Amino acid sequence: MLQDKTIGNRIFDIINYTLLILIALVCVLPFVYVLAVSFTSPAEVARGGLILWPKEWSLASYRYIFSTDTLFRSMLVSIYITVVGTFINLLFTSLMAYPLAKATLRGRQFILLAVLFTMLFGGGMIPTYFVVKAMGLTNSLWSLMIPNAISAFNLIVLKNFFQQIPDGLEDSARIDGCTDVGVLFRIVLPLSMPAMATFGLFYAVGHWNQFFSAILYINDSRLYPIQVLLRQIVILAQGSIGDTSIDNIEIQPLTIRMAVIVFATVPILLVYPFLQKHFAKGVMLGSVKG
Amino acid sequence: MKQNVSTSAGTPGIKAPRGKAGTLLRDIIRDKWLYLMLLPGVIYFIIFKYVPMYGVSMAFMDYKPYTGFLGSPWVGLKHFERFFSEPQFGMLFRNTVILAVYNLVFFFPMPIILSLMLNEVRRAKFKNFVQTLIYIPHFVSWVVVVGIFYILLTTENGVLNELLYRITGEKIAFLLEAEWFRTMIITQSIWKEIGWGTVIFLAALAGVDLQQYEAARIDGASRWRQLWHITLPAIRSTIIILFILRLGNFLDSGFEHIFLMITPTNREVGEVFDTYVYTKGMTQAQYSYSAAVGLFKSAVGLVLVLGSNWLAKKFGEEGVY
Amino acid sequence: MKINLCRGVAILMLPALLAGCGPVDGSSRQSAGPAPFRLSIGATLIGELPPNNNVVEQAIEAYTGTELQIDWIPMSAYDDKLRLMIAAGELPKLVKLGYTPDYISTIKAGQFWELGPLLKDYPHLSVLDSEYYSNISVEGRIYGIPIVRDLGRATIQYRKDWFDKLGLKVPVTLEDWYTVVRAMTLEDPDGNGKQDTYGMVLDKRFNQDVSSMLTRISVSQGGPNKWLVENGKFTPEFLTGTFYETMQLFRRLYAEKLINSDFVVIDNNEASRIYDSGRAGIQISGGNVQSWMDKLIKTVPDAKVDVAFLAGPAGIRLPGEPGNAGFFAVPKDSVKTLEEVRQILEFLDKLFEPPMQTVITRGIEDRHWSDQGDYAEITDRTLDLREVKPYRDLLPNLAEYQRSIKPVRQPELYQKNQQIGKMNREYTVDNPALTLESDTYRERGKELETIILDAQTKFIMGMIDEEGWRAELAKWQAAGGTQMCLEYEQAYSSRAAE
Repeated sequence: MLQDKTIGNRIFDIINYTLLILIALVCVLPFVYVLAVSFTSPAEVARGGLILWPKEWSLASYRYIFSTDTLFRSMLVSIYITVVGTFINLLFTSLMAYPLAKATLRGRQFILLAVLFTMLFGGGMIPTYFVVKAMGLTNSLWSLMIPNAISAFNLIVLKNFFQQIPDGLEDSARIDGCTDVGVLFRIVLPLSMPAMATFGLFYAVGHWNQFFSAILYINDSRLYPIQVLLRQIVILAQGSIGDTSIDNIEIQPLTIRMAVIVFATVPILLVYPFLQKHFAKGVMLGSVKG
Repeated sequence: MKQNVSTSAGTPGIKAPRGKAGTLLRDIIRDKWLYLMLLPGVIYFIIFKYVPMYGVSMAFMDYKPYTGFLGSPWVGLKHFERFFSEPQFGMLFRNTVILAVYNLVFFFPMPIILSLMLNEVRRAKFKNFVQTLIYIPHFVSWVVVVGIFYILLTTENGVLNELLYRITGEKIAFLLEAEWFRTMIITQSIWKEIGWGTVIFLAALAGVDLQQYEAARIDGASRWRQLWHITLPAIRSTIIILFILRLGNFLDSGFEHIFLMITPTNREVGEVFDTYVYTKGMTQAQYSYSAAVGLFKSAVGLVLVLGSNWLAKKFGEEGVY
Repeated sequence: MKINLCRGVAILMLPALLAGCGPVDGSSRQSAGPAPFRLSIGATLIGELPPNNNVVEQAIEAYTGTELQIDWIPMSAYDDKLRLMIAAGELPKLVKLGYTPDYISTIKAGQFWELGPLLKDYPHLSVLDSEYYSNISVEGRIYGIPIVRDLGRATIQYRKDWFDKLGLKVPVTLEDWYTVVRAMTLEDPDGNGKQDTYGMVLDKRFNQDVSSMLTRISVSQGGPNKWLVENGKFTPEFLTGTFYETMQLFRRLYAEKLINSDFVVIDNNEASRIYDSGRAGIQISGGNVQSWMDKLIKTVPDAKVDVAFLAGPAGIRLPGEPGNAGFFAVPKDSVKTLEEVRQILEFLDKLFEPPMQTVITRGIEDRHWSDQGDYAEITDRTLDLREVKPYRDLLPNLAEYQRSIKPVRQPELYQKNQQIGKMNREYTVDNPALTLESDTYRERGKELETIILDAQTKFIMGMIDEEGWRAELAKWQAAGGTQMCLEYEQAYSSRAAE
């Protein structure tokens, strides 16, 4: 414990803390800008420049957002596909990752290689659409949850996490008569909360950010998730990607665009702080030994 | 009995004996539950990933949407030949590879360093606070990030450029000069993704036994030694796996980002395979040609992944498979 | 665990809730007359999604006797989605297409109904200016109904107060342009004692597409619109002297810091923000000057803006534009009989009738606009943007002077811009290659264009000189430019022979 108080350690701590504060400030800057502009009056925004704190406050942009049910409805869609979709993801991914973490499983290498292969090669948009259609998923929200039920990347990394769990507990559970399924749900998953939280977050954010597959698989615009509308309002306004033959399209003012970004981002931003307790150090091994 | 049940892969030395049909059958029966658990995933991959794989054939035909896969004529390697003999090919290849190498060298280690820094923080509240802030930029789209960089760096009243002007008496056209292009791309990538990148390493670090640190401290190990002997080994396999998987997308440059940053004045260093494919596929509807370029990128990725995985295993790592 | 289960069930019920937001099918709207004609439309969504089952759509349905099912597809993914629908044979009965090589080849492959011979039976469709149709014809035949827009829109829009103060006149020659821009940059037109204005601000798409600043000025000075045809020979605009002089004008403006130094990176939004906040003085635009004025007076209350013809030494001259925002076509996949094609044409024909034009451009009376005797007045901008604009963007609407609908009450300035727009039609210079086909263009048109657009920018910025510019031209020619000229010439002469 002594060397915790040495000068070297002190200096290290000071530098470390200062750097982290700086990084945090720099990282939060874009969002502060977005947030500030969304609360600023259009007149102030028109003068240009970097706004980090509104001088002339205005709630007009938010009034605009809340004056229609389109954005709300798509927000509900997004929440739905994120919650249900992530549940499906975690279930299917851990079911598959657990056996693959067992070095003695026959055919394991082949399956892993086959999974890896799909990360590199894909059939493309049209054949995938035909499959989704053949499964009867098009024009329903399932088309945004089932076709991406397992991410090869998350599967491989989760498998790696599972491999690092010591065997002790699993073995004793087996002696107690648990099947492998029981071991996964009663022993391995509770021990892997940091991993579950991480991949839950990855999947949730992935679902939240979906827009392209929603446009491809869904015809009924009432089922569009929030990102589709967000991109409509934000990206199009930038005039950088899209049809170049149109000029002078009537676009939403910057304040409304920024307010839509805030509206569409805050719900997913709130997920992480809730998951944070699962990242607490030592949770896993502590309980194994205890 | 205990020897017979499946053992963790952490100890690759212990493996069930192989080779005889009898043992194979016995192994499968022993692992029946494991195979049952694999089944949904395997079915998923077959249906949604392998069935559509016939789409790869698009690269070898002159595909048109209205004639489809059955009606479009086969053209063999025509698109590949055209791609490789394109006068731009050399430039595209060079730009893509340089950017990819920059990404691996400058961007890839950043989240690791940041996670290690966070790991050294003892105050849980401070750590949580910083973590919550640094992952926010991930949710800001490229359009907004590039827009903010414009406000900061433009030569017309750009916030940072004005500051620079006051100090040095000169402005730098960061956003349009070719020599700044890669620096800008990497800086923006780091800014946007560094915090997000730490999530997975922090999860891995959550698995480190705190008692190890205590024991090390009692032995008088300095913080550097603890970092080197306890922390890094704990996330080593995660780093290696992420590195190998990243190599699979080696030639992907992040289309939207690059597309927004490219200008007539930096195109000679900025044009990459992804932007080229966009022009070809989206604006000129050359589906088959775009597919051929994509296939080329994937093939390069495959070679890199297999190679690096082989290398990792040679050094005694678990690797991806 | 039980709590989680309850939550799970609640979440799974959500779609039912969402679907409950509005009538899912049209059955709740029963009309007394014959069963309405069901019409599905593949539509581009340019801005926000209109509310489901809104009054504008209902009004269109009621007037035309149809039951519309509009698939709003965001513009950024429209081509992908359409490609999918074509491949899967799931096209709606009416789809919006763009006049691009991709769709042209699909049309040539016989995927869409030819509409030309049928048009004579429809009073409104048949009287449209023939140029609207010829601009979307494929091999001389008509397969679509244009979503019509103005054919000539460019006008000069400028700060009248600045001009008066500095004693400037609307520019005619290139030298005039230089004088005007220079004065408004250097002579402190806003009188705040700081040199913080620009005569002109360019954005990064200044030389692209129909709204190219270089093309517009070059045409006004007597240059061609994209292509020059002389004795059957095709020359691109950038090989003409007029165009080169126009580029030199901008090169000079840039070198003397009279235009914004960051035009290569600034997007059009930021650029218009500079105009709207009173920091720039003159622009050539296709939009109505009134919208600039409206925004401007919020920051500069006593600002004055005026609009003028785009004219050069030889009088008014401006580039002609395609006159459409795409066109509607009827796929053979989804529409099997000629009878059904006629039903669809009838629907489109009705859209041109005054009551429909009013609804499409202006919305519903007393909700979006109100009748003020001689004028209509827009009452709610937000509702207009949300409920009317999507249909205004999607459906054909004629310029105000062509319609027999009540004009909106607008200030004189607006009317003046309208008037200029109406007269512009007589002075447009057409792009002779607009409907000509070239294999080279189809395969590498974008790359070739990029070579030239980049070279223009570099020339203006002084990064290359005349020699460098010639080298880029040679590069363009070698990369397929020469071939493209030949193909256009061939297509041109074979069309003339017909």
